[in-house]
Amino acid sequence: MSFLGQAWRRFMFLLRRGQMDRDLAEELRQHAALKAQKNVASGMDPDEAHYAAQRQIGNVTRMMEESRQSWGFPALERVWQDIRYGLRGLRKSPGFTTVAMLTLALGIGASTAIFSIVNTVLLRPLPYKDSSRLVHVWTVSSMFPEFTLGQSIPNLQDIEARSHSFETLATYEVRARNLIGNGEPEQLRTAEVSSSFLALFGVHPVVGRDFRSEDEQRKDGDVVLLSYGLWQRRFGGDGSIVGKAIMLDQKPWTVAGVLPSGFSFPGNIDALVPREIPPGNLRERQAWLYITLGKLRPGVPFAMAQSEMNGIAAALAHQYPQDDGSIQFPLVTLQDAATRNGKPQLLALLGAVGFLLLIACANVSNLVLSRGLQRQREIAVRTALGASRRRILHQLLIESLLLAMAGGAAGAVLAIAGVRLFRALAPAGFPRIEELHTEPVTLLIALIVSALAGILCGLAPALTITRAHLNLSIRDTSAASSAPAHLFSLRSFLVVAEVALALILLTGSALMAQSMMRLLRADTGLTTDHLLTGELTLPKALYDSKDSQHLFLERLLQALQTQAQFSGAVLTNTPLLTGSVTVTSFDPAVLGSSEKKTTLEIRSVTPDYFLMLGIRVQQGRIFNERDTTGALSVALINEAMARRFFPGEDPLGKPLKFDDDDKTPSQIVGVVADTRDSGLNAPPRLQAYFPILQNPSERVHILVRSSVDPAAAIAGLQRAVWSVDKNLPLSKTRTMGEVISESVAEPRFRTWLLSIFAIAGLTLTLIGIYGVISYSVRQRTREMGIRIALGAQSGSLLGLVLRQAVVLALTGAVAGIIGSLLLMRLLASQLFEIKPGDPVTLIGASLLMMIVALAASWLPARRATRVDPMIALRDE
Amino acid sequence: MVRSAGKNELLPGTLEMLVLQTLKNGRRHGYGIAQRIQEISDDVLQVEEGSLYPALQRLLVKGLVKAEWGTSENNRRARYYTLTPAGRKELGTEAENFDRVVAAIARVMRTA
Repeated sequence: MSFLGQAWRRFMFLLRRGQMDRDLAEELRQHAALKAQKNVASGMDPDEAHYAAQRQIGNVTRMMEESRQSWGFPALERVWQDIRYGLRGLRKSPGFTTVAMLTLALGIGASTAIFSIVNTVLLRPLPYKDSSRLVHVWTVSSMFPEFTLGQSIPNLQDIEARSHSFETLATYEVRARNLIGNGEPEQLRTAEVSSSFLALFGVHPVVGRDFRSEDEQRKDGDVVLLSYGLWQRRFGGDGSIVGKAIMLDQKPWTVAGVLPSGFSFPGNIDALVPREIPPGNLRERQAWLYITLGKLRPGVPFAMAQSEMNGIAAALAHQYPQDDGSIQFPLVTLQDAATRNGKPQLLALLGAVGFLLLIACANVSNLVLSRGLQRQREIAVRTALGASRRRILHQLLIESLLLAMAGGAAGAVLAIAGVRLFRALAPAGFPRIEELHTEPVTLLIALIVSALAGILCGLAPALTITRAHLNLSIRDTSAASSAPAHLFSLRSFLVVAEVALALILLTGSALMAQSMMRLLRADTGLTTDHLLTGELTLPKALYDSKDSQHLFLERLLQALQTQAQFSGAVLTNTPLLTGSVTVTSFDPAVLGSSEKKTTLEIRSVTPDYFLMLGIRVQQGRIFNERDTTGALSVALINEAMARRFFPGEDPLGKPLKFDDDDKTPSQIVGVVADTRDSGLNAPPRLQAYFPILQNPSERVHILVRSSVDPAAAIAGLQRAVWSVDKNLPLSKTRTMGEVISESVAEPRFRTWLLSIFAIAGLTLTLIGIYGVISYSVRQRTREMGIRIALGAQSGSLLGLVLRQAVVLALTGAVAGIIGSLLLMRLLASQLFEIKPGDPVTLIGASLLMMIVALAASWLPARRATRVDPMIALRDE
Repeated sequence: MVRSAGKNELLPGTLEMLVLQTLKNGRRHGYGIAQRIQEISDDVLQVEEGSLYPALQRLLVKGLVKAEWGTSENNRRARYYTLTPAGRKELGTEAENFDRVVAAIARVMRTA
């Protein structure tokens, strides 16, 4: 009697069920005949004998029914029956079905979209071989608190020699390089990498060869690997490019190969070149320039590798205290590093869609409940005919699952569109956005979310409906009878929960929106109107000395100043408002302070910088043309620096150096106002300015003020650069307005999405409150009729209904405020100049919620006042 | 349900065992099975049709009995049930279990 044999027989019986049915019926007939025969034999009248036999046999239908249950697969058949019954029911009430389906589609669609984005961006392994074993090996030094640094070559060599955790270690440094020939010069994003770099990722060039260790010593001269994108864009995907030379930074580089498409680490790289370590850096332990990646050996847990690195760091700190007595080597998985930017906002969005889904479920739950109450009599009849509570529960759940699946199908379509929209609108630099595709997993997620939603919105109503009193429902002929008290309390609970959830959503998006507005209004201390900016990098091969760089800068400034369309032009070494800063380690001991080492933001500028950007001079003077090579080295400091290190003193004339080893101190000649020049949300740091002509740099950022059309001005900018060096590409040309807009692209995107979810939540809540209040008015029609008959004014009836809505909304609002206070702390890191518990926001959102509640109950309340007492009473 | 004359229900599963037992010595139709049980038990055990036929269907599904149409002694069409080898084996096990349970109950009734 094996399980399989039995299943097979069941299946065969199922196929022959018609025959089985006929056999059984025939058998029972024969049985009755035999019984009747016996009755006759014992002396009964033939007719009577026949009826007696029927009586003794009993309910034949039920017997057949029970027998049938042992054939086939009764559980499955029941489900199929419930599904057909459910579909018929849903078709019969199209209004209910449409509203419930659309509501669920909204909730399921939004949560599926965000969840599949979270899945791709945060959860899915990076698209590299064994990516879970890839880690960053950072340096944290007391000299640069709050920064993570690469490794210095001597430290890296010690790590390689002493550690056992890594299979491979590799380094990279990102650098802009200029490509010329084959069209306009173009600035490329390149990385100088160790020869082990591609092996670490398990990547091989699609054409040509990988780097070899000899390439670092330039045995074959300079070689380069092109990214697939660059190869297609600039070289038409021509395979014969391998072995030919391209001109990078005015030097020929032989193309060794082409990287596979899809590989562009680090961050959309155009080309890779072998690293070339200057002899000085081979011994300098403080040159933490080489960003290091490690691939853990199989089976080595992260924590074990980290503790080994802690040991090595401690040993090095002990061995070389003069370099850094407190050095640390924290490991960060590449996965964490790659997704860090998107994580907080994705989690906030995930929370928001979760709430939206709950609101949608609460709404549908309420709809199902109302419908169930209308069907109370049908259910009572089925119970009376012998359906168990479990069976009816089963059937009601199947119905809500059907509803959820239909909603889920619409939601999946919504989710696919949503993911595409997200991809199109996400701010530049959002992690792994290029990997976002609509995939089967989206559908799977939609299915799971739908099933959960179906159970979530069906279970409570089903339990409640089947608990309602059987006899009461049959006896009642009036639909206007009042529902049992507990039914009402579930409905109230659902609405209160909806209000609370919607309020939390509302508070979250209101906080984000305000933070966004404050960010845009943030005073940077800079005058940025009509400013244009562009960036260029001087190739080392041509501008190999400070003198040549100096000459270039002087000529460029002159070329810019002679263009009539520019009312001002300045040069600096660091971009404005993009989040990047140039910092140096600073030892306050040189100023006689006992404070710990810190970082100092440094910026090299041309003399007009302060005037053009409207930075106030507080003391002393700004730079002038005489502050150039050969003259006394000078510096300006900002107010923050003056306050901190020269309290009550005059900083003018004091020497400024970074530490005791600094042999060329600059003289402080002035103090200028603080600015937020690295970003709108970056508080002013300690900062020092130096004349760019005394400190030339290969990275040059141009700022010009122009009132002509930006496109024309940018063309002028490019012409000015080419008039000095025709091979220099100007990149990242934008108006300062665009720069600012890009710098807030992420918070703006997040604010928009949250606001959309909040509005959707608010709308669903409005519908929910409307549903509950109008249902309750319908239930109380008779009561209203009596009140009117007894002379109640319509105002007091209005008040009666509205009061009910206000009580529900107030309860929900209190719960929502408590929830907001608890949850908004999680948003704190994403908020600018607004507290998570901002009272104005909380009160404002609650007021809006109350208005929505009142608006939603206005129509049903009006309906209550128009009840015709005669009709209401006759309704019985 | 098999009821004894005092309308007390028997242990669950007993009916199926009784049915198998009546088929031990050859085929019978449903009515015959009910009659046989009643007869042997001296009318103590009355088999209701409402229980008998579902039980027979279950035995069919489990593969313990086979059914085929035949002609009865008085020339009526009747559906005859026969034990399958699996049914014979099952009957053996059940009878053994039953003996053990009855003996145990008897011991309890004597001593407790």
